[in-house]
Amino acid sequence: MGVTCVCQVPVVEGKSVQQTVEQLHKRLEQLGAVKQGSFFVDCETYHATTNTGAQPSKLLYVMHNSETPLSCLVLFDGGPTLAADANFDVLMVKLKSHFQNAKGHKVESRGARYRYADFLIKVGTVTMSSSARGISVEVEYSACVVPGDCWNLMKEFMQSFLGPSVPDLPSVFSSKAEGLFAPADCMDTMNQYLELFSKIRKQQVLPGSGVR
Amino acid sequence: MSGVPAVRVSIESSCERQVQEVSLDGVETYVPPLSMSQNLAKLAQRIDFGQGSDSDEEDPNGQSRVSDWSKQDLEGEEGLVKFQPCSWPWDSVRNHLRSALTEMCVLHDMLSVIKEKKYMALDPVSQDPIVVRTPQVFQLISKKKSLATAAQLLLRGAEKLNKSVAESQEQWRQRDFNAELLHLRSQWKLRKVGDKILGDLSYRSAGSLFTHHGTFEVIKNTDIDLDKKIPDDYCPLNVQIPSDLEGSAYIKVSIQKQSADIGDLGTVSLFRKPLKAKPGSQAWHLKLEAAQNVLLCKEIFTQLSREAVQIKSHIPHIVVKNQIISQPFPGLQLSISLCHSTMDKKNQRASPDKTKPDDHLYVLEHNLHQLIREFHKQTVSSSVMPHPASAPFVPKRLRVAGPMAYDKSEISSLQQSEGLLEKIVKQAKHIFLRSRTARTIDSLASRIEDPQIQAHWSNINDVYESSVKVLITSQGYEQICKSIQLQLNIGVEQIRVVHRDGRVITLSHQEQELQDFLLSQMSQHQVHAVQQLAKVMGWHVLSFSNHVGLGAIESIGNASAITVASPNGAYAISVRNGPESGFKVLVQFPRCQAKDLLKSDVLQDGKWNYLRGPYKEVHWSKMEGRNFVYKMELLMAALTPYP
Repeated sequence: MGVTCVCQVPVVEGKSVQQTVEQLHKRLEQLGAVKQGSFFVDCETYHATTNTGAQPSKLLYVMHNSETPLSCLVLFDGGPTLAADANFDVLMVKLKSHFQNAKGHKVESRGARYRYADFLIKVGTVTMSSSARGISVEVEYSACVVPGDCWNLMKEFMQSFLGPSVPDLPSVFSSKAEGLFAPADCMDTMNQYLELFSKIRKQQVLPGSGVR
Repeated sequence: MSGVPAVRVSIESSCERQVQEVSLDGVETYVPPLSMSQNLAKLAQRIDFGQGSDSDEEDPNGQSRVSDWSKQDLEGEEGLVKFQPCSWPWDSVRNHLRSALTEMCVLHDMLSVIKEKKYMALDPVSQDPIVVRTPQVFQLISKKKSLATAAQLLLRGAEKLNKSVAESQEQWRQRDFNAELLHLRSQWKLRKVGDKILGDLSYRSAGSLFTHHGTFEVIKNTDIDLDKKIPDDYCPLNVQIPSDLEGSAYIKVSIQKQSADIGDLGTVSLFRKPLKAKPGSQAWHLKLEAAQNVLLCKEIFTQLSREAVQIKSHIPHIVVKNQIISQPFPGLQLSISLCHSTMDKKNQRASPDKTKPDDHLYVLEHNLHQLIREFHKQTVSSSVMPHPASAPFVPKRLRVAGPMAYDKSEISSLQQSEGLLEKIVKQAKHIFLRSRTARTIDSLASRIEDPQIQAHWSNINDVYESSVKVLITSQGYEQICKSIQLQLNIGVEQIRVVHRDGRVITLSHQEQELQDFLLSQMSQHQVHAVQQLAKVMGWHVLSFSNHVGLGAIESIGNASAITVASPNGAYAISVRNGPESGFKVLVQFPRCQAKDLLKSDVLQDGKWNYLRGPYKEVHWSKMEGRNFVYKMELLMAALTPYP
């Protein structure tokens, strides 16, 4: 439960997604990071059926994170967030009349989990309808809960294996007042993933990215 | 009287009248004196006329009195006439006189009538003798009679009391079934199913997950012959417990040396005396408590055997019948057995086990009970989320994990990591290690007299850790030889030794290791003691080494050595002490005392004679003294010249 940053890593020119991921793995292993199992984050999109007039229907995202295996995280488009029991999926089926599952919008990121001292690195392949669309990298620094205090350290660490493509401070943090954010930590991470997923969804299908 | 003028003496009569008032100018106003008649009235008022009237007849000189009165009467008559206007004070006198006159007249009439003896006669009153005689007879009779009534009253009361006591006893015996049931309900869970009353024995409400239903049935005891005498322990309520929960049970935990054959381990059956009934508790209560205990023991055993089968350990746990065998240390076995006795089997089995010594570890049995209750408590969490009936089964503790977005580490901390068996095996290991350490220290202390070894056990322990302080001293020199103080922290698998100077040595569970370590410490102690002694005696330490690199190799630890020189430098004592080889003491003499020393060509000068020359070994066993340090003190004293 520390400060987390999720970013997208561009695919290296002339290489497939898989190859880029492997390259990242290799770099991490050279740094001395140890592989610790795997992870996944997925996101399903629902839209409200009760559409009121001209307003575009609001979207509801139901996400799962392997880090919190018993929870189901729900995010409303720019609205409230909700952490619920895993039973929430079942509940959504019962709410069919109000929220409809947008088929084919399921995005997920799967990959390996590395531990390097206090850093937890998750390199994942973002897949959408079984086609690899991009690479996500999540870096968590578990020794600190104040983003402003450890951002430079995280940035430096990310530079060591990502090279120049290091993101700026995530907007989730910059929009918030400085302070402890541990209670909402899980939601901050999921917000970042959601941002990343919607960015990738809008992207063109990458040329040369094969089906995994 | 001639020359002296006449003195006028005025005489004033003493004041006979009462002063009524003294005015401001000193004039006294007197109360005017009472006139004669006033005085008489005053006196007459003081007379109590009622006084003398009763004693009228007895008085012998009544006549004179009457004459007296008549005189008064006359005077009164006078006064009455005189003070007509103020007749009020004389009114009472007149009234009395009138009534007296009336009485006198009546008496006179009566006497005159009697005198004629025509209509009235005076008879002597003959009642007096009867009145005197009857009391003696009559009193006796009346006393008898009243006594009899009193006795009857008492008897009737006693009878009543007797009856009520008997009644209450009877009531006590035939206690109301309903009252009994109410009593039962206040202590046990009951529910009504059909026409039966079922109770719950299980610990399910306390968090137990044991599958045994643990129900008992409440029955009304009707098979009682009302004509016969009711037995004292009769109770209208009876409970019927499941047949498999009858009798008494307990968990036996013991650590034994491994036996050669597992085959004969089979069934262990040991029984203990049935519980004594507490005064005031009902039979059904004892029965239910015993059954509940059996149920708990069964649950513990089931849990343990389930874990024994599930847990992968390098030496697998063996479950045979009612016994679980585990190997905490090589050559050692921990056996946990469920001893369940039903009354009828008792006689058959009790005999063969009598010969065995009781190696039951009560502490571990108690801890097992504690552990299962802790386990129960874990399942009953204080913050339980509501759970929809349609939802999949999740342990209660984990229900909160989803909504609170617990991460992996938090969830794993919630899940029980260690089973009952693992915990109890660890505890058994610790208990065994502790007792063996104690034994090792004790045996060393009794075997080796010099130096002495003392162990101070700390009486506050954890289930997995305890500590002991070991002191090595020499008798009579406790104050100067305090060099070796060891703190032994006994854990589950190993013993950590903290030396006085902060060094930490970790020993394994092997008994030999501890023994060797203590032996080497004891040998070091002797050399340390010599060093301390040298300081006290004024000798100089020339060299000191805890671990000598020279000489024969010891099988345990290293030899230590010290060389000390006498205060004037003439002599030197060198001591080498090894844990196995024992000590060797050498004395170096000045050259001048060594007769057999060859004259050197180089050291011609006489001053060189004061150099120390060759060493000679001391026959230590022939030295006087009760221990090593004492002998050393004597040796040093012998080698120190007189000042």
